[in-house]
Amino acid sequence: MIETRLGEFEEVILLLVGILGEEAYAFNIAEEFESQTERAVSIGAVHSTLTRLEEKGFLTSQMGESTAERGGRRKRIYTITAYGRKTLSSARDFRIALWKQFPGFATGS
Amino acid sequence: MENKQHTPPNLARRFLLAFLRRDLAEEVQGDLDEKFLSMLRKTTPARAKLQYWYQVLQYLRPFAIRKSTTSSNHYAMFRNYFMIGWRNLAKQKMYSFVKIGGFALGIAACLLIALFIRDELSYDLHYPEGNRIYRVVEVYKDHGETERSVWMQAPFATAVKADFPEIEKAGRYNSGELFGAGSNQIRRDDRMDNAYEEGFVFADQELLEILQVPMVYGNLAHCLDQPNTMVITKSKADKYFPGENPVGQLMVVNDYAKEPFKIGGVIADFPANSHFNFQFIITMKEREFGRGEQSYWGATNYPTYLLLRPGTDVKQLEKKLLRVTEKYLLPLWIEQGRTDAKDLTKSIQYELQPIANVHLRNAGIEDPVPSHGDIRFVWLFGIVAAFILIIACINFINLSTAKSANRAKEVGLRKTVGSFRSNIINQFLIESLLFSLLSFTLGLLLAWLFLPYFNVLASKSLSFPWGEWWLAPVMLGSCVLIGLLAGLYPSFYLSSFKPIQVLKGNISRGSKNAATRSVLVVFQFTTSIILIISTFVIYRQVHYILTKDVGFDKEQVLLIQGTNTLGDKMKTLKDELLQLADVKSVSVSDYLPINGTKRNGNGFWLEGRNKIDKSVSGQFWQVDHDYVKTMGLKLAAGRDFSRDMASDSSAVIINQKMAKELGLTDPIGKRMMNWEAYNIIGVVEDFNFDTFRSNINPLVLKLGNSPNIISVKLNAKDVTTTLASIQTVWKRVVPHQPIRYSFLDDSFSRMYDDVQRMGHIFTTFAVLAIIVACLGLFALSAFMIEQRGKEISIRLVLGASLENIFRLLTVNFVKLVLISIVIAAPVAWYMMDKWLQDFSYKTELSWDVFALGGAMAVVIALITISYQAIRAGLANPAASLRSE
Repeated sequence: MIETRLGEFEEVILLLVGILGEEAYAFNIAEEFESQTERAVSIGAVHSTLTRLEEKGFLTSQMGESTAERGGRRKRIYTITAYGRKTLSSARDFRIALWKQFPGFATGS
Repeated sequence: MENKQHTPPNLARRFLLAFLRRDLAEEVQGDLDEKFLSMLRKTTPARAKLQYWYQVLQYLRPFAIRKSTTSSNHYAMFRNYFMIGWRNLAKQKMYSFVKIGGFALGIAACLLIALFIRDELSYDLHYPEGNRIYRVVEVYKDHGETERSVWMQAPFATAVKADFPEIEKAGRYNSGELFGAGSNQIRRDDRMDNAYEEGFVFADQELLEILQVPMVYGNLAHCLDQPNTMVITKSKADKYFPGENPVGQLMVVNDYAKEPFKIGGVIADFPANSHFNFQFIITMKEREFGRGEQSYWGATNYPTYLLLRPGTDVKQLEKKLLRVTEKYLLPLWIEQGRTDAKDLTKSIQYELQPIANVHLRNAGIEDPVPSHGDIRFVWLFGIVAAFILIIACINFINLSTAKSANRAKEVGLRKTVGSFRSNIINQFLIESLLFSLLSFTLGLLLAWLFLPYFNVLASKSLSFPWGEWWLAPVMLGSCVLIGLLAGLYPSFYLSSFKPIQVLKGNISRGSKNAATRSVLVVFQFTTSIILIISTFVIYRQVHYILTKDVGFDKEQVLLIQGTNTLGDKMKTLKDELLQLADVKSVSVSDYLPINGTKRNGNGFWLEGRNKIDKSVSGQFWQVDHDYVKTMGLKLAAGRDFSRDMASDSSAVIINQKMAKELGLTDPIGKRMMNWEAYNIIGVVEDFNFDTFRSNINPLVLKLGNSPNIISVKLNAKDVTTTLASIQTVWKRVVPHQPIRYSFLDDSFSRMYDDVQRMGHIFTTFAVLAIIVACLGLFALSAFMIEQRGKEISIRLVLGASLENIFRLLTVNFVKLVLISIVIAAPVAWYMMDKWLQDFSYKTELSWDVFALGGAMAVVIALITISYQAIRAGLANPAASLRSE
């Protein structure tokens, strides 16, 4: 059975893939993660999560172009699938629904 | 752009590639390179490299690690190897039994010997300051002969402690029976009945401090520092003061109630692997054996132990100790009027023996420790164990290569379908490991089963170290190691087959390695024959000693011990004993011709020549009128002591050796002296009163009182009833003390316990070695006969007799055994000649021992093979010939 709920780290990685678009590959995602959250993360950890998300069907990937910096090696570009988007937005909706029920913050918007 | 010169660490990169999934290699390496470059821009190259390592290690995650397809294949192959190995094992039950059984025997023998050696090596290692504790050894050089002994003068300890700052503590003990140490009667002062106890000793408070004996009750620093105090061991405290703290209680020794001993402390029992075996330690504080004894430099009775300060140069201190002779001994000798005093000082040196060496490395040092180990035997046993193991390994190798023909097709097929040679080697190594594992399990069980018997054999109290942490890893490690070693040759040999030849069927069926196998068989039998011959020689020596005419009559002499408490009742007892019908004579003397009874060294001269001649050192025994008769000594000249001659109180009887040393051809009526002068009235023939390791020493017998042991010469047909009546007499005369007795001949043979023990141990291992070797020979001959099945059948059909076949099949093996005899004989001769040099009286190393040993080997080998050979000769030839 494949787990379909999203963990916190997974959700952030998924969002970052969406943000980075054409440049969403492991190294870049890890850098972006570090600069956005100011938390250190290893490329291996990100890569591991990406693989898992792909297994769950939230992401697809294909090999992109190569650069000199990479010693002529290609990178693996990740893109969100429709199912991934749906899961992200339902995760967001679920949270908003929860926020709305929270008396202190229930501002209506 | 200078950044370009820096590249990610090569090792990290190689490590990454070693575990990373192949399909991820490109993207991951690319990512990590990018990361590295970006780090280079931000920080130092070193940090960037470190960061690269960190990133590589972070890839050690399940998703990224290669699940190599080959490894799962390996697993399947391993399973296959195990399965094939197991099937082979199950299919050829006899060969498997020989391989595993022989191996297990070898391993069990090794284990037992290893336990024995470990125990021997563990002696005296438990003292907290053990590496600083030394025993003083006096080296006395005289006429090119060197004598080493550990008895020092009474004031030696205090003197050296005062004179040499390197010595932190010095302590002594005195275990001389003369002084009342050894065995005594003891009781609590509030009880009546005496009990016999051994292990009495006089010692300094400081000796206990040096050894730092663990205390059960009392304070180590003050347990012996008062006069007339005594320290007892835990087991004795439990015996006499069960459930109470005995410190401060009083005990009476030898019924002498006027001077009881106060218990100053209770120590833990000395462990079995300590060279001390004291039970009752009486303080030396304010104790003197005769006036001025404690400050007299002319007598040596005290083994002395030193605790050196850390960092002391022992060799240097040994040299400095020479000053002791100059300072204390020289004045004494000059005072005694010794003309050779100056030379004497040169003949004495001191050595410091580390306490850990006392048990095993004590060759040539005389000391009061009842039994020592011998480092040579430890080595010898180790070597024997190794050889038995090697013999077992050889079985394995021989059988594996011999049976190779049967596996050749398998090897050929495996190679044809793609096995590398390394795979085949692996396979056979794994099979060997399988055998080794089974053998180790079995061997461990065997060793555990036989440990009680081995304990009796070696007179040890070893226990199996199941609970110790090292057992499992050591066993497993040796299991793998031995499995690999034994499997190495067969696996390389078997894996070298060429598939095409093998599958065509023209592999020389196991005969190619016949030469190697022969060499190995010769090796096995050489070892076994050496062990057999050694066993024969040891037994012969034991027999020789036990049956040799010792010069006294040791049969039917009952020794009643502990009679020093009797006092006036001694005469009553003696008289009552003499009235019994079967008692021939009764003598009271502590000096008996067996080890462990009283000894008393003295210097003797002819009368008036004590300042001129060198003294003749000899024993000076106090005996009574009936001694010569009771011991069955033969008078060579003169007469025995007589009750009718009052002048016999200053008369002596000497042995022939003493007469010779004094230079007397007709000693009767001559006079000799030590501190007094005596009339020589008789000469007894020399008799052995020490072990046969030493020569007969000069001896002087004099009338005197030494009331510890009563010897009773019996003339009984029924010893049991006589014993019963003696016991009744004893009960009547001495009601408060249980009788304790032994027989002279038993005590005599106990002197050679160690030699007999050696004999038993050797026999055991010789038998083991032979069994293992024969197992191998049995299997090997079975195999040979199997190979030649067709040949034998054809011979039988053509009219060969059983005898022809038998000869055909056995002659080769017998040849090998004969070669082994030729090699083994000189080696065994050399070894046994060395061993016999320990004895002054030794049996001849005659040829018949070797002939007998060799003949035994041949016969055993023949019997082993003949079962197979006769079976082959009796088989129906048609059965074997029909199959093709």
